[in-house]
Amino acid sequence: MKFLRNLILSFVFVGAMSLTTSANAGCKVHLGDFDWDSANIHTAIAGYIIEKGYGCEVESTKGSTTPIMAALFDQQIDIITEVWRDNLVQLIEDNLAKGNIIELGVNTPSSTQGFYVDKPTADKYGLKSVDDMKSPEIAKLFADPEAPGKGRMTSCISGWTCYTINLVKHKVYGLDKYYTNFDPGSGGALDAAIAGGFKKGKPVFSYYWTPTGLMGKVDLVKLEEPKYDQACWDEMTKVVEDIKANGPDVYKDTCACEYVNMSLTKAASTKFANNAANKPIIDFIKNYSIPTADVNKSLAFYMDESGGDMEETAKNFLSSNNMWESWVPSDVASKVKASL
Amino acid sequence: MKKYKKFIKPFVLSILFIFFIIISYRSAKPRYKPENFTDIFNDFSWLGNWPKWLDFPLMQPLNSGFDWLIVKYGLFFEGINNFLLGLYTSMKNSLVGLPWPIVIAIVIFITYFASGRKTNTTVMVAFCTFFLGFLSPRYWDKCIMTTCIVLIGMLLCIVVGIPIGIAMARNKKVRNALLPILDLMQTIPSFCYLIPGILLFGLGAVPAIIAIFVYAVPPLIRLTDLGIRLVDKEVIEASEAFGASKRQTLLGVQIPLALPNIMQGVNQCTMMSLAMVVIASMIGTRGIGDEVLLGLQQLNVGMATEAGIAIVLLAIIFDRITQSYGEKIQERTQPKKEIKF
Repeated sequence: MKFLRNLILSFVFVGAMSLTTSANAGCKVHLGDFDWDSANIHTAIAGYIIEKGYGCEVESTKGSTTPIMAALFDQQIDIITEVWRDNLVQLIEDNLAKGNIIELGVNTPSSTQGFYVDKPTADKYGLKSVDDMKSPEIAKLFADPEAPGKGRMTSCISGWTCYTINLVKHKVYGLDKYYTNFDPGSGGALDAAIAGGFKKGKPVFSYYWTPTGLMGKVDLVKLEEPKYDQACWDEMTKVVEDIKANGPDVYKDTCACEYVNMSLTKAASTKFANNAANKPIIDFIKNYSIPTADVNKSLAFYMDESGGDMEETAKNFLSSNNMWESWVPSDVASKVKASL
Repeated sequence: MKKYKKFIKPFVLSILFIFFIIISYRSAKPRYKPENFTDIFNDFSWLGNWPKWLDFPLMQPLNSGFDWLIVKYGLFFEGINNFLLGLYTSMKNSLVGLPWPIVIAIVIFITYFASGRKTNTTVMVAFCTFFLGFLSPRYWDKCIMTTCIVLIGMLLCIVVGIPIGIAMARNKKVRNALLPILDLMQTIPSFCYLIPGILLFGLGAVPAIIAIFVYAVPPLIRLTDLGIRLVDKEVIEASEAFGASKRQTLLGVQIPLALPNIMQGVNQCTMMSLAMVVIASMIGTRGIGDEVLLGLQQLNVGMATEAGIAIVLLAIIFDRITQSYGEKIQERTQPKKEIKF
């Protein structure tokens, strides 16, 4: 009897729990997040405003680029607050044409990506452009222990489009004779490889980008590449997409130039955006935009002061800035303020 | 005095506990703390949500300790790195350089003699080995890289693990001290030591070997320990009665009788190494694991599954060889049924 009573009690308890949690679930937003820190910050800030300001239940899923983008195209994820559009041009344009997603404008104006060398080495050997890297003596500095006679450039992860872009660039610039286009396997491993090089005082040659938290801590110099040119970039993108589809053997000579000073964008799934009830949230995401300098500031706070707490970082951003108040209606802004 | 003995341990622990709380309160940032220490006893709102000042500061010391390790013992780790990497590259280059039929022949040769001339096992392993390259020619070299990493990891496990297992079986104090460490090694998420591994050893094969060691050595140690302790007391007494020294008992009686268990440990160690080497592709370790990772990242189900099958084949090869070798030893150590007294 006692067992039965306990059983019933526990059912009642569980039922009450589920009632209380579903009480405020008027709307649900599923955010997509990636495995690098600037994306995490945008997801945290946007998620906080949606949760506290609009009273919605926010779920965020973190993962690698391809699976998360695929989930967005598949309407499983509603909003992504940082899309590296220029790296995914083909994929995004296909899905825009199919009507799977809509774009919601720029999130961080003017972020950069490219090939970087640590400052001490760059100064010592006068390394300014990718052409300066083309010498066996220089390659020896960055020796790849697993590929004798070659240097190693730590590149993108093979699932990111920039891995293939870097592969093509290496061939066009003639770097492939001296360096391996080394896939570090994951975003964390790429960061650790750079940080480890600096800690040990070893030369670092790597693909990297801003805004990132690590960039504020280490001294990296961007190597000059041929100036960005739209026609050249389009030609290169074709080769890149071909390689992605058919493997590296289909490489053919092309033009190559530096990464454009790109704008990171935001996107939402069509299903979510077309639901009239979600219009206020879509409007807010459209307005959402943080300059690079402020993203960097937040990243520095995240790394040094928050103790690794993203929500704390989001709160810090919201309480030390008021740029976000213009993104949302005043009643939402006051609700967010009240929760800080 | 004897009466109070049982209170000593709880007393020391509670002192330690209070000490930890004081440390956490002192190290918390001022904006998280109440203005006055006594406010804690007037305003009990901190009992609702876990208060920010009740946060044991473990992250900072760990970080600075790790930095200290890199700066101070950088050369030491560099030495380990160069040694393991040299072993790996020379092994890999010689195997990749060989024509593939010869590699298959070597595998057949090893299997045939390790299994005690069993034709079934040999044919099965030969078939699996052939299928590695047959699935995709790209896989052949990658499987060799993975095999080299697994072999070196296993070698390290055997050289370190078996002596530790023996020491554990012979000394209860050693066992009590080591068991929690083994538990820790088995349960701590692998990325906790994969990422520091990159900082210490750089991207590539060496952090993978270290990760294999951390992940795969506990079952070998446990099974060695168990195997030796399971040896019949009577057998040991008999050997002592014949005047065998401790060393002779260990080498001549305990280890041979424990060998089937130890081989089971080696077998488990291999399987876990193979599992780890796939995870290690996330820290830039070249091998068959990055085909799975690539398939996953490009959302190419066929590619990931094909590479997954190659890993299963590789596992079957390793498993068959170690397992059949274990059986062969077992047949040798167990008395044969035909013998009648």
